[in-house]
Amino acid sequence: MTRPAEDGTVLEAVRRGDARALEELYRRHSPRLYALLLRMLRETADAEEVLQETFVDAWRRAREYAASRGSVEAWLITIARSRAIDRIRNRGARLRLVKQSEQLAPAEAPQPDPPDVHAQTRLRRALGTLPPEQRRALELAYWDGMSQSEISRETGDPLGTVKTRVRLGLQRLAELLAG
Amino acid sequence: MTHQEFLDQVDAYALGSLEPTEASALEQHLTAEGPHPLCEAALARAHETVATLAADLKPVAPPPRVWEGIAREIARGQEPVPRVPAQQPPSASGAPREPPRRRIPAWTYGIAAAAVLTLVVSGVQVRDARRSAAQASATAAECAKDLADARIDVLRKEDALQLLIEPGTQLVSLKPPPPGPGPTSPGTGVVLFNPRGRALFLGKSFQAQATRDYELWLIRDGKPIAAGLLPPGPDGRVFADIRPELLTGGRPAAFAVSIERKGGTDAPTQVILSGAVASP
Repeated sequence: MTRPAEDGTVLEAVRRGDARALEELYRRHSPRLYALLLRMLRETADAEEVLQETFVDAWRRAREYAASRGSVEAWLITIARSRAIDRIRNRGARLRLVKQSEQLAPAEAPQPDPPDVHAQTRLRRALGTLPPEQRRALELAYWDGMSQSEISRETGDPLGTVKTRVRLGLQRLAELLAG
Repeated sequence: MTHQEFLDQVDAYALGSLEPTEASALEQHLTAEGPHPLCEAALARAHETVATLAADLKPVAPPPRVWEGIAREIARGQEPVPRVPAQQPPSASGAPREPPRRRIPAWTYGIAAAAVLTLVVSGVQVRDARRSAAQASATAAECAKDLADARIDVLRKEDALQLLIEPGTQLVSLKPPPPGPGPTSPGTGVVLFNPRGRALFLGKSFQAQATRDYELWLIRDGKPIAAGLLPPGPDGRVFADIRPELLTGGRPAAFAVSIERKGGTDAPTQVILSGAVASP
């Protein structure tokens, strides 16, 4: 089972240089991270490279992890997304999804583990209650790795409006998922 | 960067949607200003919410070569581990010593057969175990977020108590207008106002509206100044830190809450709560 306390213990061992602990962390979290990276980068080779970089980064920066700033899983997702965003921005040309309706479609790839239907349902329901423009701003930031300025250019909305949408959208999502 | 500016941008930071210079400013705030519990808790909550967005994805097992690449990479920074066991000393004849033969007791075959049977049964159970692990992972993420929320709640209360005991802080109770045709307030609220430039709005029993937002105002020189939207939490409580720059233009005469179209307006249309600030 993956519990935050256990993740913390495993990460503590990673800090001490225990490679088996890193393997355990990889076993627990790599399937979700890989799915996330496939979705963001849309290229298997890129997703594999960034996944590798993420865990090498976690190995080197384990001492920087602070539990007060989030769970180990959130920390790993932050590292992975940050590297994926860098890669997207370095590509120059943006990868665009064909239709906005496909934004939340699951990645097509072999599925070794069953999805957590409960969590998916809650998330979809929560996203469904957001005003469309807030949801769009979050999706462009989350999946396409766009900065708020880029979202402003993409949508034609003023930067201040985009900032408000991102802030309110994420806060609203946090409340809905907590409720 | 003030704590409020940090709180305003922390969600975009966690999403990775700030420009590099903006992101650096936030990171600098966390390190240069020293640990600020509310900022750290807000960052934790934002990270957890962003992580939750990945819950919609079906996990995909990466190919083995990814872990092999990681293992190679980290091995470069470690002492090489001997893979071959140390050789035994040669025999007296100089020929390599043969490993001692061990007689295998008959009962071990029985154990081996039982082990094989156990493995077969375990194989059937692996899928169930994976399902349980996936659910446990989601539960863990929810727990972490709940804890972050609870921490923020406690810190906000501490923040409010701290402001309340500061010299000069005034408690401005906001009341609904006389009964009329307009909307009535579902909740109650107070503003803790300190003339030295700090004010907090605390509300309870507010109900989130699908198409409308609650908006806070401060009234100065007869003019309303928008002080931000008031999104209610799941428990109906509202907490808002009024931006300090809004308090620098002179003492406000009153505070008010209105209910407006989604996103707020430039001027209040339907005031549901208001309260006057006492003269010094």
